[in-house]
Amino acid sequence: MSDADLHALVGHRFPGGTRTIEHWENWLLTDCTGADQLGDDLVHPIALFHVPIQGAGTSIADLFELCGAQGAGSVGLDGYDWEYFAPLREGVEYRVEGSVTEVERTVSDQTGRIADRFVYAIEMTDPDGVLTARITNHWRIRR
Amino acid sequence: MSAIEVGTAIPSWTMERVDPQRMKTMAAILRDPYEVHWDHEAVRPLGFDRVINQGPLNLSYVANMLMAWQGASCIRRLNVRFTTPVFEGDQLVARGTVTGLEQVDGELRATCDVHLDRGDEAVLVGTSIIVVDEAVSQ
Repeated sequence: MSDADLHALVGHRFPGGTRTIEHWENWLLTDCTGADQLGDDLVHPIALFHVPIQGAGTSIADLFELCGAQGAGSVGLDGYDWEYFAPLREGVEYRVEGSVTEVERTVSDQTGRIADRFVYAIEMTDPDGVLTARITNHWRIRR
Repeated sequence: MSAIEVGTAIPSWTMERVDPQRMKTMAAILRDPYEVHWDHEAVRPLGFDRVINQGPLNLSYVANMLMAWQGASCIRRLNVRFTTPVFEGDQLVARGTVTGLEQVDGELRATCDVHLDRGDEAVLVGTSIIVVDEAVSQ
């Protein structure tokens, strides 16, 4: 991917859509974390990784393709910034919208190898239009 | 419960052993095609002999620590970065310390430094903002 192609990604909007978290999904997700089930229809906070991505009408595979990731070891996680304005609950249909917000190309002084920072942000709103959560995920794509 | 103040240590939370079976279930839930989480053949060219835990699972151990301390709906923000891969079989301990307290929107919020440790190595570091019980804060 050229530097120009990389920077053209900024502003790319995901299709958007809605996403409802089912009980079975939340149960399995919570179990994977080693926590006890939360109860009261509360969704484990870690759902803010995959639910926004899927709800925005994209996927991890689509994101890999968009940023030109190729092969094992090509994608690294720099970090996450996740904000919770209200607890996520099972059975609620959330509206989900997002876009690519930042990119940056870096070249190693030692090896000359290229690594691109790829940042996207997604918001979830409840059926009343109230902002429920916002994520900003930072990935690093090794070329 | 003792008082919460700046400097209070959050009770730690331990994942005794990162389980590759859980990574497989997680990959299915996430619809994550990245084979380093479930295929040993994919990680060998990278110089590893164990599959790599998903980043969200690493963060979940920190979230579990916070929820075990202040309840399932206490988290307002998680801002973390990942410093090194976590592998199947690793033992991890989530730890944290309160660095600030303030009233926001009618609730008492604590800013906390958080980290996830493998032995004496931090594999995740960051900050969190959580709602804390005013009855036990100063």
